[in-house]
Amino acid sequence: MHAGKLKGEATMGSNTADKALRLLRYLPRVCLANIRDNPGAVKKNRRGRAQHGGDNHGDGNKGSGQRQNYMRLGHHLRRQYPPLSLNDLQLLIETNRINANQPIDLVSILNSGLYRLSPDKHEFGIHLTDEGADLFKAKVNIEVQWASELVIAAIEKAGGTITTSYYDQHSLQAMLNTKKFFERGVPIPRRMIPPADAIEYYTDPTKRGYLSDPEKISEERFVLSQKYGYTLPNIEEDKDYEMLTERKDPRQIFFGLNPGWVVNLKDKVILKPQNEDLKDFYST
Amino acid sequence: MYNRFISHLRRALPLNKYLSTSTSETTVAESNKNATIEPKKFKFPSYQKPCQVWVENLDTIDENKLGIIELHPEIFSANPRIDLIQQNVRWQQLYRFVSYAHTKSRFEVRGGGRKPWPQKGLGKARHGSIRSPLFRGGGVIHGPKSPTPHFYMLPYYKRVNGLTSALSIKLAQDDLHIVDDIEIPTDDPKYIEELIKSRNWGPSVLIIDEVDIMPRNITLAVDQIRHINLMPAYGLNVYSMLKHDTLVLSKAAVNLIEDKLLTALHKNNTSFVTKPFKINQV
Repeated sequence: MHAGKLKGEATMGSNTADKALRLLRYLPRVCLANIRDNPGAVKKNRRGRAQHGGDNHGDGNKGSGQRQNYMRLGHHLRRQYPPLSLNDLQLLIETNRINANQPIDLVSILNSGLYRLSPDKHEFGIHLTDEGADLFKAKVNIEVQWASELVIAAIEKAGGTITTSYYDQHSLQAMLNTKKFFERGVPIPRRMIPPADAIEYYTDPTKRGYLSDPEKISEERFVLSQKYGYTLPNIEEDKDYEMLTERKDPRQIFFGLNPGWVVNLKDKVILKPQNEDLKDFYST
Repeated sequence: MYNRFISHLRRALPLNKYLSTSTSETTVAESNKNATIEPKKFKFPSYQKPCQVWVENLDTIDENKLGIIELHPEIFSANPRIDLIQQNVRWQQLYRFVSYAHTKSRFEVRGGGRKPWPQKGLGKARHGSIRSPLFRGGGVIHGPKSPTPHFYMLPYYKRVNGLTSALSIKLAQDDLHIVDDIEIPTDDPKYIEELIKSRNWGPSVLIIDEVDIMPRNITLAVDQIRHINLMPAYGLNVYSMLKHDTLVLSKAAVNLIEDKLLTALHKNNTSFVTKPFKINQV
């Protein structure tokens, strides 16, 4: 009788969960008295004791003093660009997490929920990396913050366009959680121009910088296609020409919304500044 | 042999998800002519087979099988993670616990400002204060301070998977019963006690309905019985499920719980729920 029951059950599912549940049928009732965590699951935080366990993470241990009158604040202050590969981008598009029929920018990638950015950790946007460059075939108009030559070639070979653009900390905070930002009821800020050490990158047409001359960019598009040996798709004759050439203003953060506007989500209205001084302040 | 085994199961196990559909149908047909399997279209299809569970009644003391309900396997036959259950129970005990144990340090104990005896010349050990931790009645080093909150947040998916583990374990151990609704004919406590005894439930039973306004009769009947408790579906938690021997869910509660947990498991934007918890977050 008993054996028959076991035999009958053994024919059903064979995955781990089913096995465990079948086993539980013959075990005492699981209750508050007989549960425990996995052995070794809880690890105590111990003070580091190895070669560099107890030291200062490369920042030294001196502050401002007689010999130097500045704090030595460590060297993790450079702008960081967390990577997103072309493979990831292709996957996001194919799984409908991003709409490639519209211009893609940092906001649309952040809204997918699969890319995280912490501006407070000096992260300034997306570094589009070349992993999956051979397989990339989506036609996109994408705006990222950092891209290599190969990535630019991969996007343009597939018939798309790419721009690299800079966003300052305040703009990034507004883009992180758009809904939350609009609910705050503050005007959309102006995008600041890049800092001195980034100006060169964002005015360079070979980097597709947003401050560079569009004429030069179209020249460089051809140069790059010659270098990598592909025929450059003619976007002027593309049916998505309007979408592919849509660009933000250097002061603009969101597509379709200008700095100075207040978005009221509750009443579904947009409030625009009327005062001449304000208009002047927010104009480019 | 096989028929004997089936008939034994029918007597011993009111619910059995390990029986095939065809077998269950014959069993239903024999026990109750009106009983049917309600095929269910799940919002999130699974590659596994749905669990089939008897729907019972509460309006008679004797068990009456009303039909078979299909349950989503990701909720009711999920991997029974005992470790997650333990972590959930620990979290539920700790997050509301505030320790009021309190000790005074050497500076908080009254007195002790004066040097008790001269530094030298007495042949005694040198001391600066009679409230030093070395002294009887002195302060305590690194002692507990009141109030010490032990609040923390268990990660979101540990909470979700804790619930699915607990529900799956209850079902696998035949401690989960589904009733069509929780209406009983009388508000006499003896009725519900008798019912629970005759069906081999309990002794402690947790009855869960969809909303927190429960029918009058069952509310009055279990009011004075401390081991039979009523709970709305939104209060479902791992600790209470383990505290009670038997879990009784109404059909409406099952649907709500299934819907909520499946939504939680299949969220496509988890960045908000998996963020580190901040106490002052909205």
